[in-house]
Amino acid sequence: MMVDPQERSVGNPRIEVFFAHQRRQYEPGDRLAVRYVVEGCEGEMIRVIEHSVVWYTEGKGEEDLGVHFFERITDRGAVASAGRDGAFETTLPASPLSYEGLIVKVRWCVRVRLFFASGRDFVSEHVFLVGRIPPARLPPRGL
Amino acid sequence: MRLPRLYAKKRGHRRTVSREWGVLGDGIFHAILLAAGMFFGGLLVSGVVAPEWRINHEFVRTTCTIQAKGLARITRPDPPAGVVAHWEPRLLVRYSTDGVVRESWARITAHDTAVERDTAIGRLSGWKLGAEVPGWFDPGVPDDVVLQRGYSFWLWLLVLLLPGALVLIGGSGLVRRLRAWGKSEERLAASAGLSELLDPLAQPVHAAPGHPGVPQWDDLVNSPGTILRYRLPVESPEYWTVFGFGFFALLWNLVVVVLAVGPGLDLLGGRFEWLVVALLVPFLIVGVGGVVLFVRSLLLATAIGTTQVEISAHPLLPGGRYDVLLAQGGTGVLRSLELLLELEEQATFRQGTDTRSEQITVYRQPVAACGDVRPAPTSRFETRTVVEIPADAMHSFTSAHNAVRWRLVVRGIPDRWPAFSRAFPVVVLPPANGAAASRATHDAAAERETP
Repeated sequence: MMVDPQERSVGNPRIEVFFAHQRRQYEPGDRLAVRYVVEGCEGEMIRVIEHSVVWYTEGKGEEDLGVHFFERITDRGAVASAGRDGAFETTLPASPLSYEGLIVKVRWCVRVRLFFASGRDFVSEHVFLVGRIPPARLPPRGL
Repeated sequence: MRLPRLYAKKRGHRRTVSREWGVLGDGIFHAILLAAGMFFGGLLVSGVVAPEWRINHEFVRTTCTIQAKGLARITRPDPPAGVVAHWEPRLLVRYSTDGVVRESWARITAHDTAVERDTAIGRLSGWKLGAEVPGWFDPGVPDDVVLQRGYSFWLWLLVLLLPGALVLIGGSGLVRRLRAWGKSEERLAASAGLSELLDPLAQPVHAAPGHPGVPQWDDLVNSPGTILRYRLPVESPEYWTVFGFGFFALLWNLVVVVLAVGPGLDLLGGRFEWLVVALLVPFLIVGVGGVVLFVRSLLLATAIGTTQVEISAHPLLPGGRYDVLLAQGGTGVLRSLELLLELEEQATFRQGTDTRSEQITVYRQPVAACGDVRPAPTSRFETRTVVEIPADAMHSFTSAHNAVRWRLVVRGIPDRWPAFSRAFPVVVLPPANGAAASRATHDAAAERETP
């Protein structure tokens, strides 16, 4: 179990995500099970919660996004419960694998997004690895 | 109330702009397009389409007797010269409506356009004084008569094409933005079906079944090889260069021909406008230069002969070994011919209003190298080798703006021509047995690193 402190947005709420695998390292076809705890939302009413498992590209190009798992919780009772803590799981696909290229990078992450009654939203993103592709390097000169 | 920030979190090499401001700006842009389309569409419908439709559906038929011919003088201000006069042909006709005999200067068609005086007189020559012809008058304004009905299809086309395109682009963009308002990017991406319909300019990415992010390889395996199983298609920039130069030369010289028609006729008539000819000369020089470049690039592309690469299996797997046949046709001597395995990253991004693309090769492995290659007209040069995909290789990947592409590259240095490079794309899949293969690869690598 591991806590990922990485937050994508800075705000009062804080979401701690617990991955079942050590070092957030997964392989294609693995079962990804995630548990999370929401803190710091006292006094603000959560209207909707979205859970997602996505991959996105990073680097020089425009960002592309692929959604592997998406779940939207709108039921008032379920939101009240999931607004404190929650869990979800999915089986990872065969591709794409996490990749650390020079101008193209592929990253996998879990996102928990809270929509508040005031209209604003808060997203917490927690990166994990799929596969074990070593980082890309420039080929030696002369080739 | 807090306004959205102009810039959001930095991503990779650049800082991404605020999504909220982007959505707002995009929405305003499409709303302006929609409003402009509706405005110009309304003008065309009320000024052109509606009057024409009324003539064809509401005007009442009668019989007219032509009494006289005339021209209506249409003037419009043309500063600083004053006014410019054009002419419309008109016919004085006698006809009866509800028992009342009337006389009126009738238009010949619904949209008589103002033309030069001689042209307007020419249009009247086909009408004979005293002749009885059918006519149609406006029941609300009986003095308004036309002698020919029908539709101006080019005007309808104009109404459909110009304002229609603005309404379509603006409307679909606005609907797309309204639909995206208040929704997370994950939710939008998870329901991309309608978005693709609303954004027909977006390039869809076709992934291989069961392998998200991996490009389809149908086009790479539809050509059987002569010796090995598949002949790989060539992806050569030199062919696009030939096409580009040819297209430019054709278009430019067409423009030159159009520009040269007037001065040419003047020259035949014995008049020599030296100023016009002097203006034409630079266009002519560029046209000749375009043809020369096209012929040169065509010679370079065809003189070397075709290169073929065949492979024993496809798609490829990390750690796999595959037989490869390299064949080079033509008649010239090549000082060297080499085959390489390459991995290229490609990123497409917007810079201002331009869309740019950048490539970088992150893996290059020599597969075969030959010297003093002499293909004969009757028998091509052939060599067989084996290519091995690294066990920890990244698989082929493609998304809307990013790609990681594997390819076999043939580089040659001919004896008397510039060096050439031809690429043959291949698709590499993720490890076949997923987790186990990936772990085994990792463990093997760890063992190698252990002293």
